[in-house]
Amino acid sequence: MQAESNALIASDISAYLDRHEHKSLLRFITCGSVDDGKSTLIGRLLYESKTLFEDQLETVSSDSKKWGTQGKNIDFALLVDGLAAEREQGITIDVAYRFFSTDSRKFIVADTPGHEQYTRNMVTGASTADVAVILCDARAGLLTQTRRHSYLVSLLGIRNVVLAVNKMDLMDYDESVFDSITDDYARFAKELDIEKITAIPMSALAGDNITEPSDNMPWYHGTTLLSWLETVKIDNERRQQGAFRMPVQWVNRPSLDFRGYAGTIAGGRIAPGDPVRIQPSGRMTQVARIVTMDGDLDEAVSGQSVTLTLTDEVDASRGDVISAGDAPASVADQFETTIVWMHDEPLLAGRPYLMKMGTRTVNATITTIKHQVNVNTLEESAATRLELNAIGVCNISTDQPLAFDAYKTNRDMGGFILIDRMNNATVGAGMLHFSLRRADNIHLQAVDVDKAVRAGLKGQKPAVVWFTGLSGAGKSTVANQVEKQLAAKGHHTYLLDGDNVRHGLNRDLGFTDADRVENIRRIGEVASLMVDSGLIVLTAFISPFRSERALARSLVAEDEFIEVHVDTPLSIAEERDPKGLYKKARRGELANFTGIDSPYQPPERPEILIDTSSLSAEQAAERVIAELRRRGILSPPE
Amino acid sequence: MPPSRVNRQTVTELNALRRRAVELREAGHTLAETQVEVGLSPPTIIAAVKAFKSGGWRAVDVGPRGRPRLDSQKAGMQALKQQLISASCLRAGTSANTRLLWNSERAERWIHDQGQQASRSTILSWLHQWTLQPPSRYRQMRKVSAGEPDSAIWLKRHEQFARRARRRGKTVYWVASRRIDDSCHQLFAHDLRARAQWCVTLAAPGAEDYLRFFQALAGEHKGGIAVVLPGAHLARDPLLAAWLAHSHSDHLIIGNPADAGVARLPEKKAHVRKRIDSNKSNDTMNPSTNTAMATPPEAPAIINRPLTLTHLQRLEAESIHIMREVVAEADKPVMLYSIGKDSAVMLHLARKAFFPAVPPFPLLHVDTGWKFRAMYEFRDSIVKEYGMELLTHINPEGLAQKVNPFTHGSALHTDIMKTQGLKQALDEHGFDIAFGGARRDEEKSRAKERVFSFRSAQHRWDAKNQRPELWSLYNARKQRDESIRVFPISNWTELDIWQYIHRENIPIVPLYLAAERPVVTRDGTLLMVDDDRMPMKEGEVPEMRSVRFRTLGCYPLTGAVESTASTLEEIIQEMLLTRTSERQGRMIDHDSAASMEKKKQEGYF
Repeated sequence: MQAESNALIASDISAYLDRHEHKSLLRFITCGSVDDGKSTLIGRLLYESKTLFEDQLETVSSDSKKWGTQGKNIDFALLVDGLAAEREQGITIDVAYRFFSTDSRKFIVADTPGHEQYTRNMVTGASTADVAVILCDARAGLLTQTRRHSYLVSLLGIRNVVLAVNKMDLMDYDESVFDSITDDYARFAKELDIEKITAIPMSALAGDNITEPSDNMPWYHGTTLLSWLETVKIDNERRQQGAFRMPVQWVNRPSLDFRGYAGTIAGGRIAPGDPVRIQPSGRMTQVARIVTMDGDLDEAVSGQSVTLTLTDEVDASRGDVISAGDAPASVADQFETTIVWMHDEPLLAGRPYLMKMGTRTVNATITTIKHQVNVNTLEESAATRLELNAIGVCNISTDQPLAFDAYKTNRDMGGFILIDRMNNATVGAGMLHFSLRRADNIHLQAVDVDKAVRAGLKGQKPAVVWFTGLSGAGKSTVANQVEKQLAAKGHHTYLLDGDNVRHGLNRDLGFTDADRVENIRRIGEVASLMVDSGLIVLTAFISPFRSERALARSLVAEDEFIEVHVDTPLSIAEERDPKGLYKKARRGELANFTGIDSPYQPPERPEILIDTSSLSAEQAAERVIAELRRRGILSPPE
Repeated sequence: MPPSRVNRQTVTELNALRRRAVELREAGHTLAETQVEVGLSPPTIIAAVKAFKSGGWRAVDVGPRGRPRLDSQKAGMQALKQQLISASCLRAGTSANTRLLWNSERAERWIHDQGQQASRSTILSWLHQWTLQPPSRYRQMRKVSAGEPDSAIWLKRHEQFARRARRRGKTVYWVASRRIDDSCHQLFAHDLRARAQWCVTLAAPGAEDYLRFFQALAGEHKGGIAVVLPGAHLARDPLLAAWLAHSHSDHLIIGNPADAGVARLPEKKAHVRKRIDSNKSNDTMNPSTNTAMATPPEAPAIINRPLTLTHLQRLEAESIHIMREVVAEADKPVMLYSIGKDSAVMLHLARKAFFPAVPPFPLLHVDTGWKFRAMYEFRDSIVKEYGMELLTHINPEGLAQKVNPFTHGSALHTDIMKTQGLKQALDEHGFDIAFGGARRDEEKSRAKERVFSFRSAQHRWDAKNQRPELWSLYNARKQRDESIRVFPISNWTELDIWQYIHRENIPIVPLYLAAERPVVTRDGTLLMVDDDRMPMKEGEVPEMRSVRFRTLGCYPLTGAVESTASTLEEIIQEMLLTRTSERQGRMIDHDSAASMEKKKQEGYF
C-alpha cells in the first residue's frame, strides 16, 4: 500500500495531492494501564504509517540504546514519551496528541496515561474523540483500570470501542486467552452505554494485527486495528443527522449594512431560507446567507465554521444559540448533570462557579451532590464534596437560562466546564442529562410594595455591612458598637452573628469547608431578604472564603454591600482568644479552625479595612460610620 | 399502519382481515373506520362485503393468488438465483472482455442457457422476486415531482442536463445502488427510456465498483455517457472524481449541497404519498413506489446522507473556531507573524474567520534584524495587500549591544532577540492573548501543550500546571498579569500545511522554492549568504547552488537543502520522498532533546 502511494508520489504528484486532499479525519483516544503497551502501540502506528521522519527515527534508535527496554531493537515507546521529566520517570503523565495518516484518513490520537489519579486527563482526551482504543494486557486480562477506562469512555459518549488485547505474543497467540478476555469484557460492558465493541488480538511490539493480518493467529478472521480505524464511522456524520444548532461566537459587524453571526455548527445542517430560532429569547427568523470567504454556501453541516446572516433584524449576541425553527433546544436554569472534578480543591455544594457551555458563560451553583460514582466498581455512594478525579451526579442551578440539549444527543450542546471564580482555573467538566422541572415552575412573585417603599418608611437606605476576619479579631465587638450608634440615631438595624444564626437557622451545619460554604450562603440569603425589607444589616462571621463573600455580595445591589475587613494578625487574635478556642485548636481538640488548620482568604479590596491592633473598638466603629456616611447610606450629620 | 404489512400477508391472514372487515361493516362502522381498523384498502373492503352479500362467509375468502409462488422458493430456484448472482457479480479480476452489465434480456438468455425453459414474463417475475430487477426510476421521479415546486426546479435541472448531454451525443444514465440481501448489493443504471442495466457486488459498492460500472457503461456508447449520481460523496471520492474529471463523461450530482434544498422533500408529503401508495399497491411488487423522488432506494432521504468533511475542512473549522473564541474573550489580542509558511496559513485562516471584516487585531513581527531580505519584502507586500496593521519590534538592548548569531552563538542570539524581544513587545503594548503558529507535530514538548497556553507575568510556561481542554471549550479567563499564547493550528502537520497552501493557493515567501542561491557549507549545514554582514571563514567561498528552505528564520541560523523543487507540487513531492523532519534545518533544536522544553519554560514561543 505504501509502496503504491510512493510510486504515485514519484510519478504523478498532482494526482496524489488530489487524492490526499480528500481524506477524512478521525480522532481517537488510546487508554490502557501503565504496562499495557500503549506508547508502543502508538509508536508502532506512527512507524507503520511512515509518518516518522528519518532524523526522528535516528534519534529514537540512539535513544533506544540509552533509555530503551528493547535491547537493540527500536523502543517505539520512546517516540511518544514526550517531556524530559516524564522520560526520567519512564511514564507519560499528561494528554499528548499524535498525528499520522494513511491513504484514506488522517488520524489524531489523544494519548492519555493509565494512572489511577489521572481520570481528568482521560476525560479530556475522550471529550474530542470519535472512537476509543482500550488496551489490555493478554497476560493480565481485564484489570480494574480497563473497567475504569471503559466507563469513562462511555460516560463521555463514545459509541465505538476497540478492545485491543495486546501482548498476545507472550501468550503463545492462544485463542482461548483471547476468548476468555472478550467474554469477560462483553459481560462487563453490558452495564455500559457502548454501542459497538470490536475485540482484536494483537501484539504492538511484534506488529501482529496492527496493519497486516497476523500469520501467528490464523484463528482470528476479523479486522486489523488500522483497517478498523480507516473504516469506522466518524462521529461528526452522525451529528449531521441531528437538529440544527449553532452557538453564536461572535457578531461580525464590519459595516452598517452587514451583520453576521459567526459560529461553529454544533449539529444538523442549514441552508438559506431555513427557519431558525434564536435561543434563549425564542425569536423566529430565517437564514438569509451562509457567508464564507470562499463565497456563499448553499448548505453547511455540523462541524463547519460559518457566518450566518438572518432575514430579520433580531437581537442575538455571543452566547445565544441559533437553532432549527421546528426543533429548538430546551431552555432551563436547573439541571441534573454528571460532573468530573479536575482540581485539587474539592467541589463544594453551594459554592458558586462559572460555567461555560457553548459560547456562554454564566454563574452556576451545585445545589446538591446526589451521589458519587466509584469509577472502579460503578457503585454509587453519598457524598458532600467531590475531590480531584471524583465523578458525581449533581444538580446544578444557573443564574441565567441556557439553551441546551442532553449531552447524549449533542456533545457540544450539553458538555460544559466549571471555572473557579477566583483563580480562573478549569476545575471541572460536566455533562447535562436533563433539566429539572422546578426551573419551569418557579416564577418570581411580583409585589407592589418594594424595597424602595419599605426603605422610605424607615427613612434610611438599606445595606449589608459585612464584617470578616479571624476568630477573635473583634468583628462582633466592632459590629456591636456600630449597631449601638446607628440605633441611637434612629436607624432600624439587625445584627446577624454566630449566636443568633448557628443556634437556629444553621443548627444542622458543622465546620467542614462544605458546611462553612453553606453557612455563609444561608446568611447571605437572609441578609439579602432583610435588605429587601429595608433594614441595615450587620453580619459578623469569620466567612473565610472569598468566593462565598462574593456570592453574598452578588445577592444585593452593587452599592448595598460594604465589606469590612477586621484585620488583626493571627498572633494578636490568638493572644486575645476571648473564647479559649485557639488554645483548644492548638491542642488538637477543635478541628477545621480558621487560621490554624483551615485557611482564611483575606479580602482583596474591602470597602473598609480596620486594623484593631492600632484602633479601639469605638474608634473602629467611628471609621465604619464615617464610611457609611461617605457612601450615602447614612445621611450626613446635621 | 405500516404499509409493508399489507404486502407480507399470507392468504390466511388476508382472509381473516377480510372477514373482520365484513363484520365491522355489517356492524355499522364506516368505510374509513374499517379501513383504519383492518388496514385494507377501500376497494378490497367493498369487494369483500359484496362477496359476503352474494355468497356468504365462504365467498369472502380468496384463494391463493396467481401462480404459486412456491416455484421460486424451491431449492432449485434458490440455486438458480445464487448462480445468477454470482454470474452477474462484479469481481476484481473479471477478464476485460466479459461483459459486466446485465439487463433482463441477458438474464433471460442466461436462464435459458441453464436449461430452464420459462417465458419472458415468468423470468421477469423471478427477477422481481429475487430483487434483481432494478426498481423503476425515471417515471417515478416524474410522478413524484408533479406539484412539488422544489422538485420542479430539480426536474428542470435534470432535463436541462439530459438535453444538453444528448445534444452532444451522450447517453444519460441515472446511477444508484441498493442492498439485495445480507451478502450482496446491486449497482444499477437507468437510461432515459427507463431501461435498466445492472450488476451485483458482494459488499456495499465502493468507488472502485462504481468506477468499473461507469467504465462498462461508457464502453457501450461511443459518444460517451452522462451520469446522474445519487450523492456528493461519490463525486468527492478521489478515484471517481479523477475519472469524472478526465473521462469524456458529464455528471450531475443529486444530494450535492448545491442541490440539497431541492433534493429535500418535505417530510409530511412524502409520508402521505407512502400511505396512498400502500393502499393501492397491495399486490404489486414494486419496492420503489415508496421512495421519494431524488433518493436512491437504499436511503429514504438523500438529505440524511452525511457529508464527510475532509481533514483539511475539519482542521480549518477548528482553527477558525479557536480564533473567534480568542477575539470574543480577549481584551487586546495580537497575532505573532513570523513570515513563514505556518504564519501564512494562520493569517489566511484569520481572514476566513472574520470575513467580510478584516481580522480585528494587529500582526506583530518580533524581528531580529537577521531575517532573509526576501522575508521582509514579502511581509510588507502581504500586509499592504490584506490591509492589516503590522507592528514590528526589535530588542533595543540587543540592537545596542549588536547581538548577532555569529559572535554570540545561536543560543544567546535566540534568547535575547527572540525570547526577550517577544516579552518586551507583549509587555509594551499590553497584549493579553497572542496567536502563535506552533504545531504539535513539530516537536515532542509541543505535543502536550494546550491550544491555550498560559504564561505567568514573567512569561514562563508551567508544563505541569496546564488547564484541561475539553470538547471545543476553551477557558480564556486569566489573572491580571498573566498572558495567553494561543496556537490555532496545533493539530496541523507539516503535510497538512503544504496541502492547504496548495489547495487554497496561499502566497508564501519564494525562499521555500528552489533557486540558484549563494551558499557556503559550514558544520555540515548549507548557509545562504544573504548580505555582507556574514563573515566568511578562512577558505570559504560562496558558491551558487540550487537550494530551498524548509523553515525560515534568521538566515545565519537556517540551513538550506539542495533541491530543484521549484513548484509547490515538487516541494511536497520532495518532502514526502526524502522524509527528514523540517526542524532538522533549524539549529536551535540540535542542542539536546529537552532543549525546546527548557526554552519554552523560559518564555520562548
